[in-house]
Parts: sequence; C-alpha cells; structure tokens
Amino acid sequence: MRLLSIVFLALAPVVATPVWADDDPVITEVIDTHILPRMEVLVGATEALKTADCDADALRPAFHEAMDAWTAVSHLRFGPSETDNRAFAIAFWPDPRAKTPKVLGRILTSEASLAPADFAKESIAARGIYALEFLLFDEGYMAETPRRCALIRAISDNLATQATAIRDDWRNTYRATMLSYSDTAPYRSSAEARQELFKAMQTGLEFASATRLGRPLGTFDRPRPKRAELRRSARSLRQIEVTTESLRDIAMILSRDFAGQNAELRAKFDVLQERIKGLDDPTFAGVSDPVARLKIEILQQIMQDIHEYAELELAPRLGVAAGFNALDGD
Amino acid sequence: MTSRRAFLGGLLASGLLPTTGWASVGAPHYISAAKTPNGTYELVGLSKGGDIVFSLPIEDRGHAAAAHPTAPIVVAFARRPGDFADVVDCRDGRVLAHLRAPEGRHFYGHGVFSADASRMYVPENDYENGQGMISVWDTASYTRMGEFSSGGVGPHEIALMPDGAHLVVANGGIETHPETGRMMLNLPEMAPNLSYLTLDGTVVEQVALDPQWHKNSIRHLDVRADGRVAFAMQWEGDKGEMPPLLGLHSRGAPLILAQADAAAHRALNGYAGSVVFSDDGRQVAMTSPRGNQMQVFDGDSGAFLRAVPAVDVCGLSADEAGFVYSTGAGLVQHEGGWAREHALKWDNHMVRVRG
Repeated sequence: MRLLSIVFLALAPVVATPVWADDDPVITEVIDTHILPRMEVLVGATEALKTADCDADALRPAFHEAMDAWTAVSHLRFGPSETDNRAFAIAFWPDPRAKTPKVLGRILTSEASLAPADFAKESIAARGIYALEFLLFDEGYMAETPRRCALIRAISDNLATQATAIRDDWRNTYRATMLSYSDTAPYRSSAEARQELFKAMQTGLEFASATRLGRPLGTFDRPRPKRAELRRSARSLRQIEVTTESLRDIAMILSRDFAGQNAELRAKFDVLQERIKGLDDPTFAGVSDPVARLKIEILQQIMQDIHEYAELELAPRLGVAAGFNALDGD
Repeated sequence: MTSRRAFLGGLLASGLLPTTGWASVGAPHYISAAKTPNGTYELVGLSKGGDIVFSLPIEDRGHAAAAHPTAPIVVAFARRPGDFADVVDCRDGRVLAHLRAPEGRHFYGHGVFSADASRMYVPENDYENGQGMISVWDTASYTRMGEFSSGGVGPHEIALMPDGAHLVVANGGIETHPETGRMMLNLPEMAPNLSYLTLDGTVVEQVALDPQWHKNSIRHLDVRADGRVAFAMQWEGDKGEMPPLLGLHSRGAPLILAQADAAAHRALNGYAGSVVFSDDGRQVAMTSPRGNQMQVFDGDSGAFLRAVPAVDVCGLSADEAGFVYSTGAGLVQHEGGWAREHALKWDNHMVRVRG
C-alpha cells in the first residue's frame, strides 16, 4: 500500500485545480487528494488491462492492479459512479443468486456480438471485473478459446470506458458540483456535500464489515467460506487491506480539523491495519475454524467500532448528523 | 401453531373478543414501532392525543402493521428483511399470535386484512427467485394458506381497495437478498410499478413510471374511499434529477405526478417515507425524514398546498381534524396544534387502529 500512496501523491498536482477562497477546504482536500488521484490510478489500471495478452498468467497481474484500483474507490458510490450505472458495470458483487457465472456460461456458449455497443446491453453481472475473475481463476471458465479471449477483451474495454467516464465527470463537472450550492442544486450547502463524503466513508466501512467480512463469516454454527469475496483469486483479505487504506485516508481528511477525533481515528485504524497485516488467511478459509475465525471477527469488530465512533464523534462536528429515520429509511 | 394461539385466533376471527380489556388502559388510536433509549425495540400504542397506552417489547426493529378492520387488533411486522410478525390485542398490548415467514421468504413490513377480516395479505420476498409475492393468511388460525405473485419485485405497502375485492400493491422494484441485508442488487434494471390485483392474485391493472424514472421506487400508498390511490416514492437515481415523489391514481385514469415548487421539492432529497389522505380525502400528505418536513397536496389535482417543517419526520396518520406525524426525535405532533414528546425514536410508520 505504501507504493500506491506514493503514486497518488505524485499524481495529485496534475489533477488539482485552483482552490477558491470560499471553497470548503475539507471538500477540496477529499476531492483533490483522495478521489481524483485514485480515479486516475483506476483509469491507468483498466487501460493496462486492455493491452495485456489473453493468457491467464499474463493477465493476472493486470487484473490484480485493476482490482486494487477499483477497491480503493469502491466506497465512492455517488455522483459520477452512479451515472448510467457505471459502478455496477465495473463491479457486480455480492451476487447471492450467482448471476455472474450463469450469464458468463451463456455468453461463452453463444455467438452474440461482443462489440462494445452490443456488449453494453449485456447483463451487468457479466460485464465487470468480478466476471473477469472467473475467466482468469476458475477452471470452469478458463479453457482458452477465441470466444473467451473476445469476452476478456470486451470486459476490459468496458472497464476502461466506465473508469474513464467516472474520472472525466469528477474532473469536469462533479468537483464543481460539490463546491457550488443553491436551493435547487444537488448540494444546497457545504454541509450537504460533507455529508455525502462522510456517508461514503461510513458506507465503505459498513460494506467491508457486513459484506466483505460478514458474508464468509456467516454465523458461528454455519460459516460460509465459499462466500468470501474474490476467493478464486485469493484476494479476500487483500480487499480488506486495500479498502481500509482508502477509508483511513478519507477519515483522516474528514477529521483534520478536530485533533482529538483525528488522533482517535488514526489509533483505531492503526490497530485495524496491524491486525490485517498479522492475518495469514488470504481467502478467509479460517471462518470454519473457531480460533482462526476469531481473528476475522476482530477485524469486523474494529470496523464496526470505527463506524460507530465516526457516527457519534465525527458526524456532529462535521455538521452532518442524521436522524433515526433520515439515516436509515425503508 | 399452539392450541392457545389457535384458540385466540379463532376468537379474533369470530368477533368474540371480550369487550373489556385485560388491562383497561383504553384502546390506542395509533400504533407505531419505536427504538428505546437503551437500544431495544418496542411496539407502542398511542392514544388519540399522542399519549402512550402500552409498550410491547419486540425481538427486533419493527416497521408497520396491518389493522383489523373492526376490532382493536393489529398485526405488527418486522422491518425487512425480518421474518416475524406479532398479532397484538391493542387494548393491552398482549401478543395473541406470533407469525413467521416460511423458508425462502421474508416480510417487507406491511400487510392488510380483507374486509371481513378472515384473511390477511402480506407482501413477501421470494428471494431465491428475486420475485415479489403476496401471501394469504387465514386469520382464524393465523396459518399461511398460499401465495401469488405481487406483479413485480420488492412489494412493499399493500392496501385493500374500497370494493373489498381488489388489492393495490406498491412494487418498489428493488431486489434484495437476506444474505446481503438491505443491499440493492438490481438498481440498473429496477422497474417499480403500482399493481391492482384481485384477491386471488390476478393482475387487473398496472401503472409504471416513465422509463427515465425507473429508479423511482414506488414504496408506500394510501387509498381514499372512492378508490383514488396516493403513492410515495424514493428516488435511487442521480441526485441531480429530482423526479416527483408523489403519485395520484384512479383506476382507468391517467397517472398524476405531483411535486412542490423547485426549492421545496429539492428539499426532500429524493425521499418520501409515508403517505396518507386526510379523513375527508381532500388532501394528501407525505413525510420526508431526509427533507425534515411534511408536504401536503390537493388530493384530486395534486396541487402543492404547504410544507410543514419537522426534523426527522416519517410516521404519518390523520384524524378528522388533520394530519398527525411522528419523528425520530420522539415527537408526536398533530398539525392542528397538540404535541407530545416521548423518550423514543419513532420508526417509519404510524398505523391507525380500527375497531
């Protein structure tokens, strides 16, 4: 992760735009040092996927780079990522009804056109990077046929197209959207824009704890190791590592004006990252073993603790506290 | 099903309930789920003036309830993806029966009785197939007799049409699976609709929105005495688009979509939580906890009438004098003036008790 951070820093000046005197510095810092550089990395990684050979061994490193890059922005699910369902077209997971393998099987045995305009109409379950994992790591989908190679190309093209569209929107319009307010605009005040960013962090923590960790954990009596995220590519723990690095980064920026909360969050993330580093279980196979399971549960507890702390101690200071019904409607 | 439950259920259906309550605390006018300061969940009965009549601990977060048409009985449902419901005698909060959704199904938090109270219709999620279902329950024994398609995905609130022969269902369009909690699994493809069905499940009319608004989840509804349906929506699409959140529909007639002026509409943040007609049917109100206000419209034309500020408002009902709403901060407020503060977080819906 240290290496990735250096890449982000190096890119930051390229995409930074001038800060107006009255722009909310927390918002500009999140966009310019957290969001835009990571979007840039995602575009680069998905472009690299497009140029790699179809051979699984050759493609796997590019897949890992792209998945790292996606996971580092996967908490930023608002605005540009949601326009035209771009994020869904990049990442369709979790998939409790196993749509991805079903649709992949159908495409592989059909002769339907995979040209970009046609592939764009295909089910999102088979257009994204989680579908690519099957083609690169699951024996059932790895027979080297021209059709498989064409599908890998179509998916890689789609990923680069979506990533570029998200990055371009952030650069060209959404940065300004988050900094200009009116009674009829998407954000009526800087407090609402801050709330969006705060919510992104909280949603990322929730997703990591309830889904990335929660799905394989299942219950003590019925652990579900096969539900671990990206277990075929042995990335389940890596996903937690990458998202934690990103969530820590945004937490540090959001709390930058509140020394006590900033220090407390830093300490909590230190503990979390220490625990992640100490865990030798890349696919969370340990969920079925009472002792190994505990170590995974601890990650979940720390994430829940950070989430709760941010809700109680950071949200009110940022001016973004939400009510019982407003926070969690139905 | 224990014999006690069967016995009590039989009493309910036959209208032989004792006429004096076990606790003699007076029947509530409203029921609402709530969260207590120590984090537990309750089902609470409120008097017509907003005072607490009873509090009943429930095992998890509640949502809404089906009110018996003639007796002070409600069936209170768990919040989705909960799979339980409690049949409650509202005069003292006693639980008469405890219902469970069958394997492969969960409730959505709403339900409705038939006109003669012999049946109850309950929206459920057939989550392995991603399909909305309406289950049919025999209220003599509170057993599940069967089910039929809701006409869509994610059926949420359901109501009985005034003819007693049709149901109207808000199919929210959002697929979820209990394995992934409340995560929305089909946003790119969601297709909500309002479906009118016969009591045996034949879809007789469906209303859908313009395709550009297919991410506007039709979630809650109310029916006026003449069959006019008001429905409230929750926008899951782009923040910048802000489609209408209130629909008015009479069978066979064109759909009316209503919204306030631009700034007042924008203030709702794309989210309406509850919707009800006034007692005389002339007005319709919807609440927005994310907009911290209730908005009131003309029940016929859909013209915007007024906005009433209320922080974290969601629960909504009415009496003959006006609208009554509740908030996550503990307030129960009559638009006409009275207010009560309780040390509770009122959950999404207030349900009016009949009988």
